[in-house]
Amino acid sequence: MKITANQLRFAAVLLALTIVFRFGLSRLLDMQYFTLVWVVASVYAIAAFLTGWYFGRKDHESLPIYDIGFRFHLTTYIICNVYGEVWYLLGFQSRYEDILVVHLTALYWGVFLLLHFIVFIATRKNAIKGISKTEIFE
Amino acid sequence: MDNTRLLTDLLVAWEETYKKGQLTLWIFLALKDNKKYVDEIKIFVEEESNHTMSCEEQSLYRNLRKFQHLGVVDFETRKGNKGPERKYYFLTELGNSLLNQFVKRNIALFFNYRIKQLLNLEE
Repeated sequence: MKITANQLRFAAVLLALTIVFRFGLSRLLDMQYFTLVWVVASVYAIAAFLTGWYFGRKDHESLPIYDIGFRFHLTTYIICNVYGEVWYLLGFQSRYEDILVVHLTALYWGVFLLLHFIVFIATRKNAIKGISKTEIFE
Repeated sequence: MDNTRLLTDLLVAWEETYKKGQLTLWIFLALKDNKKYVDEIKIFVEEESNHTMSCEEQSLYRNLRKFQHLGVVDFETRKGNKGPERKYYFLTELGNSLLNQFVKRNIALFFNYRIKQLLNLEE
């Protein structure tokens, strides 16, 4: 699976967003600002989505890889979940956070990622070397 | 609508549809001619098509990236006359075979005597 420059840029921006989000989340929980946590989480989700949208579009303009968004989904999954685990390993979490939630998020999200992967594999027959047959000689 | 206007409208509409997908053939022909950088490809396409085909640089780059990814086109970097290094694109062995097969199957048939007669090209 090809890793493109835009995918790496997306990963870098998402990682930065995730670090800020994780830090903010844990500190807000420590300060018991439970309502504000929802606001921060929503802002993070929207920012992550827009970042993916922006770099995804640039990526497609550069080279129209036909992957129904799987590469960006996989990148998002790895960064969000691995960083979540690392946050706990380093002991930066709030006392109100539970490691089980991080594991379960990775598990449930992993099921959706697997489904996405199955659809991606099934639709690959419409492409040659990852580029949609209809887009090669457009 | 008078007939001249109708003819022009129909011709333009037909040409718009006909030209879709032709850029690939023109790019390949440009590269079969010799190794070229993007500006030279653009000039070749426009001049050799009697300016019936036009292509934006952006569109050429996008196509060349696709073709390179697919292994039909590759490039080598050479120093330009004055400016920075340029990418000189060329057809790979796969690209040459692809063009030859395409021409045999889709273009050569226009050169048969009967079709040339029908196209009023036979002298």
